[in-house]
Amino acid sequence: MKRVIIFISSILILSSCVETTKESNEINLYSQRHYKVDEKQYETFEKETGIKVNVVKANADELIERLKNEGDNSPADLFITVDAGKLQKAKDLDLLQKISSPIINQNVDIDLKDVNGYWIPITYRARIIVYSKDRVDVGELSTYANLTDKKWKNKVLVRSSSNAYNQALLSSIVANRGEEAATNWASELVKNFARDPKGNDRDQVKAITAGQGDLAIVNSYYIGLLLSSENDEEIKAGNSVGVFFPNQGEEESGSHINVSGIGLAKNAPNKENAIKLMEFLTSESAQKTYTNTSYEYPANPNVEPNEIIKKWGSFKKDILDLNQLGVFRNKAIEIFDKSGWK
Amino acid sequence: MEIIKKIVQLEHKRWIIGSSLIALFLLLPIIFLFSNIFEIEQTAFVYLWKNLLLDYSFNTFYLIAITSFFALLFGIFPAWYVSNYKFKFRVFFDIALFLPLAIPTYIMAFTYSDLLSYTGPFQSFLRNNYPDLSDIFNKDYLQIEILGIILGLALYPYVYTASRVSFSLIGSTYINMSKNLGLSSTKLFFKVIIPLSKPAIFSGLFLVIMEVLNEYGAVKYFGVNTYTTGIFRAWFSMGNENTAIQLACLLIFIVFTILFLEKLSHKKSKFYYSANSKIEKLSTPTADKYLYIYSLCSLPFILGFLIPFFYILNNSILNIKNIDFSRLIDLSLNSIQVSTISTVLIIVTALLFLYVEKISKLKFNTFISQVTSLGYVIPGAVIGLGVILLFTKIPLLNSYSLVGSFYVLIYAYVFRFLAVGKSPIKSSLEKQPESYDETAKTLGLGPFKILQRIHFPINRLALITAFIVTFVDLLKELPITLILRPFNFDTLATQTYEFAIEEMMLESSSYSLAIILIGSVMLVFLKYVINKQINAS
Repeated sequence: MKRVIIFISSILILSSCVETTKESNEINLYSQRHYKVDEKQYETFEKETGIKVNVVKANADELIERLKNEGDNSPADLFITVDAGKLQKAKDLDLLQKISSPIINQNVDIDLKDVNGYWIPITYRARIIVYSKDRVDVGELSTYANLTDKKWKNKVLVRSSSNAYNQALLSSIVANRGEEAATNWASELVKNFARDPKGNDRDQVKAITAGQGDLAIVNSYYIGLLLSSENDEEIKAGNSVGVFFPNQGEEESGSHINVSGIGLAKNAPNKENAIKLMEFLTSESAQKTYTNTSYEYPANPNVEPNEIIKKWGSFKKDILDLNQLGVFRNKAIEIFDKSGWK
Repeated sequence: MEIIKKIVQLEHKRWIIGSSLIALFLLLPIIFLFSNIFEIEQTAFVYLWKNLLLDYSFNTFYLIAITSFFALLFGIFPAWYVSNYKFKFRVFFDIALFLPLAIPTYIMAFTYSDLLSYTGPFQSFLRNNYPDLSDIFNKDYLQIEILGIILGLALYPYVYTASRVSFSLIGSTYINMSKNLGLSSTKLFFKVIIPLSKPAIFSGLFLVIMEVLNEYGAVKYFGVNTYTTGIFRAWFSMGNENTAIQLACLLIFIVFTILFLEKLSHKKSKFYYSANSKIEKLSTPTADKYLYIYSLCSLPFILGFLIPFFYILNNSILNIKNIDFSRLIDLSLNSIQVSTISTVLIIVTALLFLYVEKISKLKFNTFISQVTSLGYVIPGAVIGLGVILLFTKIPLLNSYSLVGSFYVLIYAYVFRFLAVGKSPIKSSLEKQPESYDETAKTLGLGPFKILQRIHFPINRLALITAFIVTFVDLLKELPITLILRPFNFDTLATQTYEFAIEEMMLESSSYSLAIILIGSVMLVFLKYVINKQINAS
């Protein structure tokens, strides 16, 4: 009997904590972004519109699996990622629908837009090279390809190939220069590694400061985060490296960039609200909040990047169709596995 | 027809059928997952074999070896000293040595790598004060060996508890006899005590190995590719379920091999010790022994708890102006609520399986009971996905949008952590002589009454132990919560992790601190329960 009572009472307690999600004045997000700035944005949006924002945060691939399996019953309105490749993957699996909003169209940079109109960019980041100011002459740096030069043997630092930012970079190289060139690049670069890939992007910068290597491939906003850290030692580390945008020559593709973007779920139950949120997130005020809090580049060309990242100057972006970052993803991972990039 | 007849004739058939149905329900996600892949895709296997398997296998086994070594070192010796010697702070150490269990492994790993990093306090201090020394310690600490030590520190309490209980139960007869035969105390320890306690030590070590096989956050950060990181990479990054499931099968195979080997060695050398002989009075150590005792007891506690705890505490204080206390309380309540409900369900289910196993005495029920423990070796995210597949693909179940509800989240927890709740109850039930059940039966009690009036009270302490161990594990749970949680639902673990992977150690600190404090309170209480158990037997 006791068992039955415990069981029933636990079900009751359980039911009491299940929130009703029947209200219509709300919007449901599946998001890979888990930065503080996002909470701030949603709060402002709720205040301005009275629309309640509900969020589930998890890894992009896991969220795609969840969307895929939920099918028509999915409660999700928007799918937010930090990698255009995942948006392309979701679109490929028929999980997204076209977005049409003149306001968003006006808000975002034409180079960053999805050519098919299934997702929108909210911010972008560049995958840059940072170098030790003490030990590297910036004149010797030029392209990603140049990093395989023998002079950088035991000098290059980078994180694991499981990381989506590295996968996107290699996908862009496959797209721009073909599989063979990408394979050569990866296997040659591995020979120049200062140590086995590990840690996150900030750890690579710290490793330069510590003298474990001279160059690192990292995302731009991590340098912004280091320089604005509350820990003096981290600021020192951030200052000890220089920022270099690769592939800037006339014949070259430009530095690899990737967007953080939003896709509209195919069966979005609150489509109107969803479009309102996207319009809000690409608006000038929200874009300012992004760049000033998370040091990403704004997708809205009318908004100036934050002071810290503005100091590095403007650069030529690789304007490859960002969907290619998803198309060549499996190929890229295969190349990583074969080249021994752990 | 024969089978049906047999079933009808079975004693306790309602119990057997009932528990089998529940077992089937629990196993559904895994059955569903594996039945999705009927044939082993050859190309995937060749690819895995050619490029990755060697690296994954080497890392997995090397990491298990290092972690096990340190878990045994940090677990066995202090357990022996605390069980056998009288020294100052003995009672304190007995509790303190238990506490690292309250710190999730990924927090331990992030904390130590932050502490030891170039910009961390240790190296900064040396640079500013002892520049000559700083060069020596300017090292890359993100190494598999360091990770093994960190995991050893986080997980040794499993070995400590198991050995501690076993050491205390070894009767004084053995010890006195060995001493009379002229064995030195070192020889006594290695020749008598360790062999006698082997099964107990192994049961602790087994949990350590399971945790290492399952570890994701810390191994990924350290750049160590194991079977588990391989499963994630194959499935999530490449969308290759086939490779992922092959790796998962490999993981399960390894676990069964370990269990089998243990059983084999167990059979070869079976020991009996009478637990009834008088418990040895604590002996007073010799003067030079104090040094060993204090260093071996304090080292695991200082490294495994004190340092990370104070580092996190210090970070919380530094960040105090930014702490959102109402959110901290909300998340603590979320964590406690969801862990409590799941733990209760786990204990009830575990008790049911074990009890049916006991009363039916059928091999079939033993098998069922063992299979339901499988959840503990399958990576959480794989279980999460199996559960999503189940509740979205099977007609009837998919008509309600159950994924993203607490029911499904808790269902997944129950499957994943059933083994944790089962192990203390199992060892306690096994100790009860059959005669209790027989006598009760002759007195006319039905199986439910026997459970309620005899086993429930007798095994009360084991039930409490099971409750706390499971609760603390759930408090730290991450991958299942991330993928199955409802909208706007965060736990202390998910919030800690989200900050920590962005290397925002300051922001994550207050949430990790809450996990550690809640866990520690429970564990201190548990220690009290265990000591009662030791004294009672």
